[in-house]
Amino acid sequence: MMLARLMQTEGVWLFSRNPAAILAAIVTIVVVAGAVLAPWIAPTNPYDLSSFSLIDGLLPPLWEQGGDPRFLLGTDDQGRDMLSSILYGARLSLIIASVAMGIALVLGVSLGLAAGFFGGRLDAIVMRVADVQLALPAILTALLIDGISRGILPREVHDDLRLAVITLAIALSLWVNFARTARASTFVERNKDYVQAAIMMGQHPLRIMLRHILPNIVGPLLVIATVDLASAILLEATLSFLGVGLPADSPSLGTLIRIGMQYLLSGEWWILWMPTVFLVVLVVSINLLGDFLRDLFNPSLR
Amino acid sequence: MHRSQPHTTVLALSALLLSASPAISETFSWAGTTDPQTMDPHAVNAAPVLSFLNNVYEGLVRRGPDMDIQPSLATSWEALPDGAGWRFTLRQGVTYHDGSEFNADDVIFSYERAISEPSDVKSWFSSITGVERVDDYTVDFLTSAPNPLFPGSIANFMILDSGWAEANAAEMPARDAENHATRNANGTGPFVLASRDPGIETRLTPFSGWWDTAEHNLTEAVFTPIGNPATGLAALLSGEIDFISPIPLQDVTQVEERDGFKVLAGLETRVIMLGFGHDHETLKYSDETTDANPFLDPRVRLAVAQAIDVETIDRVIMRGAAEPVSQLLPAGLSGYSEENAERPAFDPDAATALLAEAGYPDGFSFGLMCPNDRYINDEAVCRAVASMLARVGIEANVNAMPVRGYWDELRADNFDMYLLGWSPGTFDAEHPFRFLAHTPTERLGTWNFGGYSSARIDELMTPILQEIDPDARQGMMDEVAGILQDDVAYVPLYTEPLIWAMKDNVEVIQRPDNFFMLRWVTVN
Repeated sequence: MMLARLMQTEGVWLFSRNPAAILAAIVTIVVVAGAVLAPWIAPTNPYDLSSFSLIDGLLPPLWEQGGDPRFLLGTDDQGRDMLSSILYGARLSLIIASVAMGIALVLGVSLGLAAGFFGGRLDAIVMRVADVQLALPAILTALLIDGISRGILPREVHDDLRLAVITLAIALSLWVNFARTARASTFVERNKDYVQAAIMMGQHPLRIMLRHILPNIVGPLLVIATVDLASAILLEATLSFLGVGLPADSPSLGTLIRIGMQYLLSGEWWILWMPTVFLVVLVVSINLLGDFLRDLFNPSLR
Repeated sequence: MHRSQPHTTVLALSALLLSASPAISETFSWAGTTDPQTMDPHAVNAAPVLSFLNNVYEGLVRRGPDMDIQPSLATSWEALPDGAGWRFTLRQGVTYHDGSEFNADDVIFSYERAISEPSDVKSWFSSITGVERVDDYTVDFLTSAPNPLFPGSIANFMILDSGWAEANAAEMPARDAENHATRNANGTGPFVLASRDPGIETRLTPFSGWWDTAEHNLTEAVFTPIGNPATGLAALLSGEIDFISPIPLQDVTQVEERDGFKVLAGLETRVIMLGFGHDHETLKYSDETTDANPFLDPRVRLAVAQAIDVETIDRVIMRGAAEPVSQLLPAGLSGYSEENAERPAFDPDAATALLAEAGYPDGFSFGLMCPNDRYINDEAVCRAVASMLARVGIEANVNAMPVRGYWDELRADNFDMYLLGWSPGTFDAEHPFRFLAHTPTERLGTWNFGGYSSARIDELMTPILQEIDPDARQGMMDEVAGILQDDVAYVPLYTEPLIWAMKDNVEVIQRPDNFFMLRWVTVN
């Protein structure tokens, strides 16, 4: 309720006066739309082996000498259109990042809410687990999960579950932020009169948490969600770059960058640079949006 | 912590001054992708091991810069009458690195070691019935039938000192475990194994007591395995190493254009080919065709050959460094069949028509097995093949894996089609015929994973081995090559390129078997 009102009045006004936020929003929308609509707007389907031909291999981007009008951003060593690969890759990256962020959000907020509301032993346990998790760098957690699943699952099963494993790995390294923020905000809200009143009235704790507290702490969570989405995209790219992520025949942005690395010194710069620039633009725009949201929900920063 | 004493500093300084003068060459360091798994010359029959050990051990014969057979530990050899075998006259006055003397007993000991159960090189002696000592410097290798090629086929059969092996409990090659010979060596060759740290670094120093005149000018040589060719290239460009093989094909121009570095490119004798599951009743990795194996039909195999555009693979993926090939060995080697020099032409329409004729107008899907760290750009080639086959309607599910587990998968028949590279160890067409074309048996057809079988080829193998008249022999070779081509038993693609990169001041000799011989290296 409060959020909607804020958005209608102050939010829109602030937004219209912040060119960085406007630009970031436009870029994010274009990129996300391009990724989501990849199957319909991409010139070719990079997963369909019969849609590209080796004869077109290693063509430079259109504006370079030797460029081909069919391939705006050039082709890779197999003759795949770079633009299509990037759109499909971004789609995969965004799907993984959003699902991972969603899992982290639900897991982190539930645990944080419960910990902040009930306090005591539950709080201690959840927060110590979070501390341990926080001591492990996100990339290490992800590598650990991938390594363990590689060890205990047969090769074929692991290959099939790769997408799930990498998503879970990212989610597990992101939930702590949500849990800590949710707990801290819940702690503050819990002692306010309206919550105390609800407790007096004998309402079910679950109802109090979801109906009374959650709407009041959603602001900071939204900021974290946005920033974490960017981290999730980066984390997925890092894992794929290191070779523990997605395989070369269904490339995400990180895999594309890893493949492009082989051509770093050999003059075929576009194979590496196109996906890299795309990734940077995507992550920077999402982060700028996150910054704007943070300013919006935190009046003291204005 | 070691502190540098004043006199060591002086020594180091004078060493620096000395090394600045051009007369004394420095330590030569070189790198390759694979570390030799063992220092035992009979334990593993693989190119990285044999190539490395040829610097330390020697055989009765050796190969020169042009692959010609030269005398080594044997000074001469002659056929015994009636095809009973070969008599080798051994070199006198040769000593091992530890000072002990070389004689006929070592040859017999090494032969018995090489045919023992744990040896990996038994197949080299499939035609030998026994070895006899005539005197201290003469031995007879006995055969049941004439074998004119034998002396040329044992250049990699390296001789160990019997006394050293017995004293160190290394009488048998250690295949799965380790013994003294796994990490130590005592050969007669131009270099002594000074230290060995498996997977990290191996140091060699010149052998002052070598029987031959040294052509190299090295004082020490250090080998470092660097798995990633791009990393290896960076090590070369930063000056850390003097030589590396191979470098990524896409970086050749860049290295050539840099001052102070050069690239030596050539063709290896290794042929990269596709093989089929000839003895598989059904496809193993098909999404829909589970009750038949379309590759049993020669028309389907021909369609595969016609669907693949090798010229484009060469141009784009191999950067023009490879050479399309029509047979199991490259043109120019002995036994190459001029009659069958033509590849099936690239013709996707004909391939589609052939598939329809064979009863697969809508194509089918299958599994293509592929190594991803064995041959140059192997995985990229498989993916390109898959893409080309997709254009004529058959869909390859590419499964690329490290070579570590690859041969086991192939031996377990886990493929519908596979990628294989074959280098004829004897530089004769009989070698790939024996390993790849003969029906698989205990000793023959041992790398014929798909179980291709032709009664006529099996029948021709023995006469090919024994025929002395070159024309008659070539006639039989032509017939075998013709059968293989008509049957499309394999789809030979191209000859693997050799790409060596080094500093400008390094002079080497590139042998087409990709063996790196330190005895020809000079640093100026």
